[in-house]
Parts: sequence; structure tokens; C-alpha cells
Amino acid sequence: MNSAKVGVASKNIAATVPVIEVKNLSKVYGRKSTAFNALEDVNLKIYHGESVAIIGKSGSGKSTLMHLMALLDKPTSGSVKVFGINSTKLKGRRVNHLRNKYFGFVFQQFFMNSHDTVLENVLLPLKIAKTSRFKRKKIALSALEVVDLESKAKDKSINLSGGQKQRVCIARAIVNNPKVIFADEPTGNLDSGTGKKIVDLLFELNKKGTTLIIVTHDEDLAALCNRQIRIVDGKIVSDTRSKRTIKKEVR
Amino acid sequence: MKFFDIVKTANSNLLRNKVRSFLTILAIFIGSFTIILNSAINAGVNDFIDKQVASIGGDGFIEVMPGAAIEQMMAMSETGSKVTKYSEKSGSMLSATITNEDLEAMRAVDGVNKLEIFHILSPEWMRLDGEENKYNVTLQYLPTDTFNLDLSAGRMINNDTDDFEIIINEDWLEPFNFEKAEDAVDKTVEISIKKTAKCYVVPDDCLATVKAKIVGVQAPGVLSMDGDLLVSRALDNKLYALANEDIPEESLQNYFAVGDVDPDKIDEIREKFKEIGSGYQFLTVSDTVGMIRTFFDVILAVFNIFGAIALLAAAIGIINTLFMSVQERTREIGLDKALGMSRFKIFLSFSIEAISLGFWGSIFGMAVSMGIGYFVNNLVHGEDGLLADFPTFDLVRFSPEVVIPIVLLVMLIAFLSGTLPAIKAARKDPIDALRYE
Repeated sequence: MNSAKVGVASKNIAATVPVIEVKNLSKVYGRKSTAFNALEDVNLKIYHGESVAIIGKSGSGKSTLMHLMALLDKPTSGSVKVFGINSTKLKGRRVNHLRNKYFGFVFQQFFMNSHDTVLENVLLPLKIAKTSRFKRKKIALSALEVVDLESKAKDKSINLSGGQKQRVCIARAIVNNPKVIFADEPTGNLDSGTGKKIVDLLFELNKKGTTLIIVTHDEDLAALCNRQIRIVDGKIVSDTRSKRTIKKEVR
Repeated sequence: MKFFDIVKTANSNLLRNKVRSFLTILAIFIGSFTIILNSAINAGVNDFIDKQVASIGGDGFIEVMPGAAIEQMMAMSETGSKVTKYSEKSGSMLSATITNEDLEAMRAVDGVNKLEIFHILSPEWMRLDGEENKYNVTLQYLPTDTFNLDLSAGRMINNDTDDFEIIINEDWLEPFNFEKAEDAVDKTVEISIKKTAKCYVVPDDCLATVKAKIVGVQAPGVLSMDGDLLVSRALDNKLYALANEDIPEESLQNYFAVGDVDPDKIDEIREKFKEIGSGYQFLTVSDTVGMIRTFFDVILAVFNIFGAIALLAAAIGIINTLFMSVQERTREIGLDKALGMSRFKIFLSFSIEAISLGFWGSIFGMAVSMGIGYFVNNLVHGEDGLLADFPTFDLVRFSPEVVIPIVLLVMLIAFLSGTLPAIKAARKDPIDALRYE
């Protein structure tokens, strides 16, 4: 039921509805004397097809912002709208469904089940989504093809190199054909050579229409995105776009 | 995630830490093994007692004695062989006789279906008709229609006719040179008995001989008549009459009567019998067998407590195992949740892991206890075995009604033990879980 609703909303993405809209978002950790404002009154709209870099030092609140946008965490106050749907009013089950269906995740630490095969790791989102055995294997293999690792499908993921692991994670992130990919320091654990490959892959996906949100403190990586949002002490201090995307943007 | 996928995941998680899973299953195994084997022994023993009770007359069978006779017997067994001072006895042996009058009064009590004087006859000898070899024998008459004898051949005695009928037991097959029990049926035996009164006068010529037909062969049983052979009413009367020929009726001593009563009215009948004549008392089968049953019940209850303690320890083992599993897989849980897996599915995944531990533990417990049960049954039925003479009795008796509820119970205990860790896993915050080092 929910997927149908979201489906309708997603068809209108090309029009005016932002993919993610953040309003008066605040997040406070701890209570009273130990209270810490991780995010303070953040407002933000991200549109279809954008590539957004969220830049800040560690502890600035950039990860918190990403977690809130990705519906992995609940705000203390304010709202996150995904395709126009206010997520704070949704039940846990629907939030899980939204994440599973429309988001893809790439993490700095990869987070793979090392005892499973590469293929098993890639098809996990489809398994959670109750896709049939045969279908999910087929889709996972084509996702592995995108990252050029279909030959490693049956290998144990523990035997892969760091770059290969991150490529598997990208395959996992795209296996459900997501609208948005969240990447948290995707090159943080990689050397520059393999890091570039990962970045190329991500921007290729962005070119094909997937909205890309990268959390990073790496200025070079941030510069590749068409929008840079800087966060200091839980507040947005700047939000810049390169000209080419401003033209595209529909306001 | 589909249910089947959750089950598969849960089982592959168990296999991931084989030693730990094995040890937990071992703990469950010990508990369920003890309880399953115990229940099987319980079922076997009770089944055996039930069958034996039926063979000596069932729940309505009573053995009646004059109260004075019981007191005298008690006094005799108390004093034993010690020399005691003379004191006036509560009654002479003569007063302990069951008189015809009292017998009629007892027969008239509501709920008494049948009551007859019971004698044990000790003839001089018995032999197969036409053979030379004579054997010692003891005979008794019992109201056969209240009995359910385990016969290996032939039929029950028919007391409605005047025929002289006898049932032998399997111990007589060899001396009589019968290969099978069936061979003995319809053969004739000669029974010779002393005419007590005449023997005082002419000791050399006081034997009377009666011919009787073997109608059946009794299968061995523990609670049956200590080797006494059963005879028909007519034969009993004849032999009793011959033995007591010329003895005045008032000198005949009848200490026992046996009969069949309504098992539901036993307590009322007991009260009424006390009021008849000088007072009569009786023993029922449950008076005798109840003791044996209670003895077994106590032993098995003790073992069941051991089993329950083992299961309790195993339950704690399951909790521990799953807590460790949850901790080890914290990041995995975080990832599953981030990718959209619901709390319930995560709870289910760990619960199924716990239930699987319980399942395998109890299944192994069942398999091993059945194996041991089979072995023990073979052992006790083998030559020189405890139950070599009772081929129809299994010491250990497995039935689905006994085993399946235990397996299900163990799985339930495992599930309940798993709920705490499973809830902990389900409640994990995905962000915290992913950050877990």
C-alpha cells in the first residue's frame, strides 16, 4: 500500500517535489546537563539527480544529518520528507520499507557479512524485500556486472581487497534500483587509486539519474559534486551549487 | 525477508559457531534425553503393571480373611521366633474360619459380584496320563471369569460345567516333554491326593486319583500364582472333598475367600465386611500393586527432577549462547536494519535460532534414548536377562504421545530462553549497531 503511494510520488519527482526535504531539523544527544546539540534547525531540499556533498569535520554533525535524511535515526524536532511524505509520521514498518525500496547505502567500513559469499552480500536487500530466490540472484548478478565483479560472485567476501569490497557494497547499494544513494566516506578506507574507481562508479550512477548524497571531509571528492553543503557545529554554514546544475534545477 | 529465508539464516548462524552450538545442544540433549528415557520407562513399567494386575483379577479382585486371622498372622510375624510370655489369645484359629453363614452375608453386600472359599490344594503328585514320572504340584481355584490370564495356548477354564479342567504353566512343558505350549492342550493328567482322615488308619492305601484335562497353558508373569496351577470349580470341589473325606464339617478350616466386587464401591464394602461375623478384612490388587507403583513413581520423579534441572541449565546455556551471538552479530543486525529489515524479523531470526537449538537437542535426546531403550529391551529379554521370561513386556516403551510433547516442550523452553536475547537484538539502534566495534 505504502509502496504504491510512494510510487505515485516518485513519478512526480521530475516536477517540483524534492527527493528529500528537511525542515527545522534538530538532533540533541543526551539530556539536561549532558545535552549536546548535534544538529540545530537545519533546512534543506535535495532534488532528483543532484550529487550532494555534505562536508564537515568529525563531530560537526554531518553524519547525523545523513542518518536523519536516510531515516536511520529520528530527529529530536523538525521533519524529514521523502518524496513529499513526512517520515516522522510513518510507522516503523513503513520507514523500513522506504529505506529498503528507495535508498542505497555505501559505508566507509563496508559492513559486509564476511562469512557469506559476494553474491549473498549483494542480494541481501532483495532478500529483505522478499524477492524470489531466482529473481534476486539474477538481479544481484547484473548489479555485480555493473561494478565489474561478476567473476567473484561465489567468492567469500573475506578474501576480497578493500577496493573490491567497496565495489561489492556499491553493487549491494544499487541492487534494489534505489532513487538515492547515501555514501558515508566511501573512499575513506581506500588508497587514492582504488578510491578513484569507486568515485567514478558513483558518479556514473548519478549520471544515470540516481541522486547521490556523499558525506565526506575530503575536499577533492566534494568538489566533484555539483552541490556542496558545509556543516560546522550542527549548522549549515554554506550551500553552493556549480552553475551547470542551477540551470537544471526547477524551483 | 521470507520465513524460509529467516529459518535458513538462523541455521547457518548456528553452523557458524559450531563448537558453541554443539555444546549448547549437548546441554539440551542431556536434559531431554533424561526426561524422554524416564517417560518411556514410566510408560513401560506402568503398562506392565496394568497387564499384570489384569492377569490376577483386575481392580475388582479381593482376597477376604477373617479379621482375627489377620491379627494372628500379624502377631506371629511380629513375635517371629522369639520366645514370648503366654497371654490369652484374641481368638482361636477355629474362630478365624469363614463360616457359611458369614459367606452368605458377605455375598449379600451391595457391590459384591462373587465370593467363594479359596483353598490351596497340595496333592501328592501329578503326572501326565500314561507316563511314569510323578511331580509335586500345588493347585488353586480362582473365579476365572474375573481374570484375564495371559495364555500362550488353549483357553480359560470353564466353571459352568462339571468337567475337571486344569491350566498348567510353561514350566511344565519340559517335564511333560512338550515342545510347544499347543502340544499340551487337551492332554490328560492324573492327580493323586491323600484322604487325610483315612491315612491315619491305613497309611499305605489312602491315595485317591482323579483325571483332569489340560485346557490351557499360562504365559509367565511376575504377579501370577507363584507356580500354583489353576483348576476348575468342579475339580477343586472333588479334590477338596476327597482330601477331607470323613472329617466333620465344623472341623474344616477356611481362611480365605476370593471374589470380585465393584471397584467403585470398595470402601463401602470394606466397612460392611467389618461388621459381619467377627469381622472380615480384605486386600485388593491395588493394595498390593499400589506399593510397587508408588515406588516406581518416586524413582522416576527423582530422575525427572534431574532432567528438569539439566534443562534449566541448558536454558541458561541457550540464553548465554544467544547473547554472545547477538553481540558478535551487532554490526550485521545494524546492517540488516539499515537495509530495511523489521524488528519482528530480527526477533524471529534469533528466536528460530533458539528453537533450532532446542529442536536438535531434543531430537538427539530422543534418538539416543530410543537407541538405548532398544538396547536395554534386548538385554532384558535376552538369555539370563531380567525379563527373559516376559517376552510381551518392554521395560522401555516409546510412543508418540509420550515423546512428541516432550520435544515440543523443550522447543518451547528454548524459545522462551531465546526471547531475552532476541528482544535485545530487535531493539538495537541501527546506527549504534553499525558503529559497534
